[in-house]
Amino acid sequence: MFEILTPLFVSLIVGGTLVGIIFGAIPGMTATMAVAVCLPLTYSLGLENGLALLLGLYVGGISGGLVPAILLGIPGTPSSITTTFDGYPMAQKGEGEKALRIGIVASLVGGLISLLVLDLFAPTLADFAIKFSYVEKFLIIFFALTVMAALSSDMLLGIFSGVLGIFVALIGTYDISDGGNGNLRLVPPGTEYWLESGFSLLPVLIGLFGFAAILEQAEIGVPKGHSSKDINVGKHSRFSFGIFKGQSINLVRSSLIGTFIGILPGVGGSAASIISYTNAKTFSKTPERFGKGEPGGIIASEAGNNGLTGGALVPLLSLGIPGDSTTALLIGAFTLQGVQVGPLFIGNNPGTWDAMIIAMLIANIAMFAMMYFAIRYFALVVTIPKHILFPVILMMCVIGAYTINYGIMFDVWTLLIFGVLGWLFTKLRLEVAPFIIGFILGPSAEVYFVKSLESFGDVTIFFTKSWIAVILWVLIIGSVAGAVLMARKNRQIAEEPV
Amino acid sequence: MGDLTRVTIDFDTSHLIFPTLIAIVLGLLGLAIVIRDRARIAAAGSYWRASWSAMDKPRFLGALALTLLYFSLMVPVGDIWPNTGMGFLLCSIPYVLATGILFMHERSLRQILPLLIVAVVGPTFVWWLFTYPLFLTLP
Amino acid sequence: MTFTRRTLLAAVSAAMVAAPLAAEAQNLPRNMRMVIGSTSTGGDTYQNSAIVAEALAEKLGINIKVDAVGASEGFKALGRDKRGTTIMMFHDQSFLGNLYGVTGYADPFADYLVGPTVAINPGNAYLVPADSPYQSMEDIFAAAEAGTRVRVAIQPGGVSEIGFTAMKNAARVRAPGSEANIVAVNTGSQSDKNQAMWDDLADVINGSIQANEQFTQLDPSDEKAMRFVWITARPETLEQAPEAGMGGTTRADMLSYASPETSVTLDGSEDFTFDKEFFLLFNKDMDPEIITAIDTALTEIYSEGAIQERQKASFFIPDFLPSEEAREHLTKKRDTYKQVIDDITSGS
Repeated sequence: MFEILTPLFVSLIVGGTLVGIIFGAIPGMTATMAVAVCLPLTYSLGLENGLALLLGLYVGGISGGLVPAILLGIPGTPSSITTTFDGYPMAQKGEGEKALRIGIVASLVGGLISLLVLDLFAPTLADFAIKFSYVEKFLIIFFALTVMAALSSDMLLGIFSGVLGIFVALIGTYDISDGGNGNLRLVPPGTEYWLESGFSLLPVLIGLFGFAAILEQAEIGVPKGHSSKDINVGKHSRFSFGIFKGQSINLVRSSLIGTFIGILPGVGGSAASIISYTNAKTFSKTPERFGKGEPGGIIASEAGNNGLTGGALVPLLSLGIPGDSTTALLIGAFTLQGVQVGPLFIGNNPGTWDAMIIAMLIANIAMFAMMYFAIRYFALVVTIPKHILFPVILMMCVIGAYTINYGIMFDVWTLLIFGVLGWLFTKLRLEVAPFIIGFILGPSAEVYFVKSLESFGDVTIFFTKSWIAVILWVLIIGSVAGAVLMARKNRQIAEEPV
Repeated sequence: MGDLTRVTIDFDTSHLIFPTLIAIVLGLLGLAIVIRDRARIAAAGSYWRASWSAMDKPRFLGALALTLLYFSLMVPVGDIWPNTGMGFLLCSIPYVLATGILFMHERSLRQILPLLIVAVVGPTFVWWLFTYPLFLTLP
Repeated sequence: MTFTRRTLLAAVSAAMVAAPLAAEAQNLPRNMRMVIGSTSTGGDTYQNSAIVAEALAEKLGINIKVDAVGASEGFKALGRDKRGTTIMMFHDQSFLGNLYGVTGYADPFADYLVGPTVAINPGNAYLVPADSPYQSMEDIFAAAEAGTRVRVAIQPGGVSEIGFTAMKNAARVRAPGSEANIVAVNTGSQSDKNQAMWDDLADVINGSIQANEQFTQLDPSDEKAMRFVWITARPETLEQAPEAGMGGTTRADMLSYASPETSVTLDGSEDFTFDKEFFLLFNKDMDPEIITAIDTALTEIYSEGAIQERQKASFFIPDFLPSEEAREHLTKKRDTYKQVIDDITSGS
């Protein structure tokens, strides 16, 4: 099985990982885009070498997103949203370098654990995954949505923001390809031409996090100097692996959650880090520190989103069904070579299967090595004067928005609309994090909710469908109760006389 | 009991179910906020006046105006040379430069020169990267 | 890596290098954009577009970018560009979406110019669980006639629904009234349709040879196992497929699930068939010379024969018709389906 380890194979993985990290690190460019761009190359590279490149891009792309998430507070990819919650506050406290290292280590562990799961249990897990019908999938999404309550600093306003996010996500058609009837709703008359497919996630995301942040800076006159005055990279607190002491449960749990969410087709990549983050906060002894620069938050988010990489390959390779949007493209690489993916894939193509596992392993290690030692260079970003950095970020946001759906100008306008909205949100004390989570999960929540009722015709089905549903309800209630208790505790602390 | 929980969903109108539900929840939450925060809402006028007067209007409104102009011009300019990404290239250079100068505090030549270099090299490099190796469409 | 995507693409298609059509090249835009009706860059529309775009670019000596913008955005981009720098690649969904009244679908024959066809994906199929009581389409029609509800999982509004509509139509022709017992389960992607079968929400699902063949090779005791009951392609189309077929299903096996061996009648005498055909669409006002140049180039490309090999390697059936013939053929095809859809929607 080691004869595939040719110099070309290894250099394609390493090169792919590097390009992937760059794509992931640029706000608005994603792992999916990196894979899409390089897909045609694989035709001439042959199957194993082509997959080596694509898997490197995939692992790198998912990992690179943590860099801008931590240093600039702008998630590089949708799955690193939760990394901003604790990473950016740490960076502002002068712990940017530490946060980056924590994130990279967590990414590596997440990637390796999910790879191990993929290698050992792929077919078994796929059989388990098909036990999840619309009902269980809805409950998983619902569980992920409960994080809105936990994330909000003001619960009422936070939940309102989250529900508003869901509402905005429903604008446009009830998508036929998700099982909808293709009819328009919530579209003001006269705007059908633009709003037919609703707002795309990526422009909304970089509008709310990137554009809005720059507008806020412009409003206060873009304080002089460069960002490193606010973000003092790694002067105060050094990174040591000791941080992971007491975090091992969080690390393993988040990796496994990420892997498992990846296995479920249709639940979506961003849900992985959101759910691991919710869990980490719910089970933490110090939940009040989450969102203010808690290393556990970064660990949960990054282990979760890298855990996704191995997980999403499980249904692809054992059912021929992609686990997320990036693995959907990998199907293209197989069909380009005339190789079928389906339940017989692993048995029929043991060589390719081994090659993929090895490629993932090398990609994870390469990702770690490159990112861990490049941290000092990443950190240079914050030493660039703001009057240069901001226009360049704006331009990159435009590129990302325009290219994400292969050239749709409305996506660029979406960027501006949500940039202004994000700025308004802060003014109105509405919260961006719950909003974006609602926006991401809203469409799946709708489809799975409506389809559950359409298929089973009874609202009790949500409680009686299976033992999986019961367990999910326990988690949902736990998460909500945790959030309520914490809010009450915070209020008591606030009311106590000093 | 069994009948009470039963629902029949008509596929042709199923696109309205979830939005209606969410709109109701949103309305209730909104109402709760209005009741709880009525004092703050009543004071909204002075809040907005204060934040308007504290705002760095040239930079904030200027950035918005420049962005509007940038987005509006990109497609028409690009249409002169179809599918070459020239709209992006020719609009980005002045946009980066103008926004940079707007955000700058001491507008001396020593400050502007590095910005000018970035404004020319940045978009050109990105344009080259997208047009050739990546082969993606730009306006 | 010093290779760029272009150079590698060029290397791949080195076999197709030929003298560019110098005369027409003057009127041709140097940079063209081929939008496609799908947002997936790994799907069949994208693959077909990539193959054709590459060959065309080489032959005409121009640049062609393929952009997976999806149906409604694709039509918008095509409608806006009268200079002919944007062309579109799509399949029967373009008119089926319109016939089924889906949002965002105009009549492609009226609002755009239908251009040459390039290939067929012969994979559209219907499957049942391995332990299903239905052995064939005959059984399904008989069950419907006997009053049993047969639930068919489809994605409504196009290619996935047309076979279902044909089933209802055949049931109506065989035993009027029995079509009411063939009911749709509206789902989305292939994964949703499979899941609907495993959740026992559907008795029959729409699928494809490519995506579902391996499930038909599983041990029947496996809960995921499936069987083909109907492949909608024309027998003439399937006969051009590689003899070995796909996976464990030979071409002969495939033919046994298609007309005439498996009959879903259109009107009592002829069988209903459906081939998913890929074709180009143009802006109505674009320079006809550009269309002629594309037609001529494609004619040459197809007469050279290399493109057919690439299409077949990806399990597509080469199917080139120049614009005029393609338009005639597709109009006829559309009219047949329009009749079937009208009969079913008005009758029930």
